[in-house]
Amino acid sequence: MHSSQHFERYNLLNGVWDEMYAKNHLIRGHYQKVIDYLSQESPEDLSRKEELAKRLFMTQGITFTVYNSGEGIEKIFPFDIIPRIITAEEWAFIERGIKQRLTALNLFLKDIYHNQFIIKDGVVPIDIVYSCPHFLREMYQLNVPYDVYVHIAGIDLIRDYDGTFYVLEDNLRTPSGVSYMLENREITKRLFPDLLPNCNVRSVTEYPSILYKNLMSLSPRQMSNPTIVLLSPGIYNSAYFEHTTLARLMGVELVEGRDLVVNNHTVYMKTTTGLQQVDVIYRRVDDDFLDPLVFNPNSVLGVAGLMGAYRKGNVAIVNAIGNGVADDKATYIYVPDMIKYYLNEEPILKNVPTHRLSNADDREYVFKNINKMVIKKTNESGGYGMLMGHAASDEEINKYKQEILKDPRSFIAQPTISLSSAPCYIGGELQPRRIDLRPYALCGPDGIEIVPGGLTRVALTEGSLVVNSSQGGGSKDTWVLNPTTDQ
Amino acid sequence: MLSRVAASFYWLSRYIERSDGILRMLKINYASSQDSVQGFSWEPVIRIFSGPDQELINRLKNDSRAVLKYLVIDKENANSILNIITLARENARSVQEHIPKDLWQCLNEYYHTVKEPRIAAGLKKDDPISILDVLIKQVMLYYGTAEITMERGQTRSFMNIGKYLERAIQSIDILDVKYGSINDNPNLLTDITYWKHLLQSIGGYELYQKTYRNGLEAENVIEQVVLNNDFPRSVIYSINNIQRYFDRLKNNSNVNDYREISFHIGKLQSNIKYSSVKSIGQVGLHQFLTHTKDDLYKIGSSLNEYYFANS
Repeated sequence: MHSSQHFERYNLLNGVWDEMYAKNHLIRGHYQKVIDYLSQESPEDLSRKEELAKRLFMTQGITFTVYNSGEGIEKIFPFDIIPRIITAEEWAFIERGIKQRLTALNLFLKDIYHNQFIIKDGVVPIDIVYSCPHFLREMYQLNVPYDVYVHIAGIDLIRDYDGTFYVLEDNLRTPSGVSYMLENREITKRLFPDLLPNCNVRSVTEYPSILYKNLMSLSPRQMSNPTIVLLSPGIYNSAYFEHTTLARLMGVELVEGRDLVVNNHTVYMKTTTGLQQVDVIYRRVDDDFLDPLVFNPNSVLGVAGLMGAYRKGNVAIVNAIGNGVADDKATYIYVPDMIKYYLNEEPILKNVPTHRLSNADDREYVFKNINKMVIKKTNESGGYGMLMGHAASDEEINKYKQEILKDPRSFIAQPTISLSSAPCYIGGELQPRRIDLRPYALCGPDGIEIVPGGLTRVALTEGSLVVNSSQGGGSKDTWVLNPTTDQ
Repeated sequence: MLSRVAASFYWLSRYIERSDGILRMLKINYASSQDSVQGFSWEPVIRIFSGPDQELINRLKNDSRAVLKYLVIDKENANSILNIITLARENARSVQEHIPKDLWQCLNEYYHTVKEPRIAAGLKKDDPISILDVLIKQVMLYYGTAEITMERGQTRSFMNIGKYLERAIQSIDILDVKYGSINDNPNLLTDITYWKHLLQSIGGYELYQKTYRNGLEAENVIEQVVLNNDFPRSVIYSINNIQRYFDRLKNNSNVNDYREISFHIGKLQSNIKYSSVKSIGQVGLHQFLTHTKDDLYKIGSSLNEYYFANS
């Protein structure tokens, strides 16, 4: 038994919730089987598995390309071989919370683009909506099929020092990463034979078929075989691997803007036999680039006339256009109020306490306590434009303050949350690293479905709290256990 | 199927076929360079695969290692195996959801193999034939995998049209350049090893020996490379296959577009079918080959216009 080798030296971080250990090296029950398994493996065995994982990702082309001085360098999204485990109970809670939250956010989008009751009733301030660059007048009074705006959502969750789950961010536009959820699981099957069934881990393979079923139900032409396409910006997009994976798994056509053309408010794709009508577009192109006639006129990623076809109801677009007004970081503050307003329910999942910097009192408080704060731009994603107060120099802080004062609407501040940690295999031993979780929710006419799992992102750098892949983060396979085997 | 997808399959296939041609040429010519008493010249090979840049030819023609490096792994050479495979893979990547996963992995491995440091090191100081064999094996794996995994439909037709078009052009180029060299050095006409290497570099030596038993003669070589229906690298064999796979697109085509290209292919096919070594001689080999190549290019550009929506 090599047990001691891996676990005796595992140093819990002070004041951090660890997914595997309770205190005093007391292992949480749901990690026991994995630990028993790992204990039989020597560090060499595990390093070999790590190598195997890298090779599998590489030969299968599960990579993203970084373009540097004209030359493409292919990288694999760093993968940690030790799975992150979520109990059935925790999952049931997460699932309820996300469904509730998404239901409210979806109602908010419908309301905001129609009667705007929530503004009239003074629950959400008017300026939050109208100053949001992602609030699109073009969507006003436009009806979308089944009133579903958010077909695919990635809700980022974190856990604080006491294990409480918080929603960090709602991603309601084109959330990415789901292909890594699927591929990580495939790789884990290869790395740890028999372990998944022994641990009774729930499967994630249903994702593409649920998505396909939902896409199909949105077709404006009621027919058995509508044309569904996935619109990608093309092979140079960093998420291109994901686009091909999803298209392949669903058996739908992967198209680029140049493959499509709009004629008489109808979208067609150019095929070897002529034009073929398109019914549903799962677009992975941002709003701004979708239609040069309506949005950014310089864009070649979209299709001229697409918005007109959408408005006429001749084509369904997923996710709906204009969703950005709901996942803006300034709107985030009001999501608990939306839940109460639309559903008359208490929010299940908590928000991280958030300060609006356009509010003078908030701003004063934040500036005073800036060392305990994380400040973010409301319209940036991927960990860009953040200030981590505890780690920034005085000079950086002052510069950032100047920027805030110029345009306070574009910033929010949150207390630094001590993200939970999970064991990672780094440098030949297990070490705790900070993680978050992005489950993927799919909303269709029949309701919301969440595949049991998600993308666990890891801050691989020691001491780091930033998990974004663009900031050097990695990922882990995410296991959700079946209720029957919970200990 | 999407026009862009059809075009990607066509180009993917052309690039793979080209890489196969280059690798086999290099292998045989390298062997030949070790064989010849007087200075071996790489000029024809460089001409076929990199064009007529005389400065480049002079710099490389007597240096086998430098030619190998240039044609296999040089990033600056647009037609190096490395760059061709990168392009093939980019084409495959852009239609990944249409390619069987096995085939994609094959291509991906081919790409990663070319980039392995052992390839560069081997070309520089070890036995280059072993290195070229490693790469040739990758192409063969690709062809085998394509054969058993590709669905029998339009995609495969476009792939095969690309493959045979590229192959026909290559066989023509090889024949043309090799004959062109004779003008500079008439002794080659009776040099048996010269013809032997030409045939070997397109895998036709064994068949030649079985077909013609009276030694190597230039006229017989022309006959085999242009007119032999059973030789998989002959011009007529390739054009017959272009015709065959294009024909399969008929039911999925716009009638007029189909007719237009079908006419071109049929005309070219008849033209070769009803030629003989003698009639080719009357036109002049170089003339004949140039006309044939022009017709092949014309088929390529019509496909581009009518099927790939790039007019």
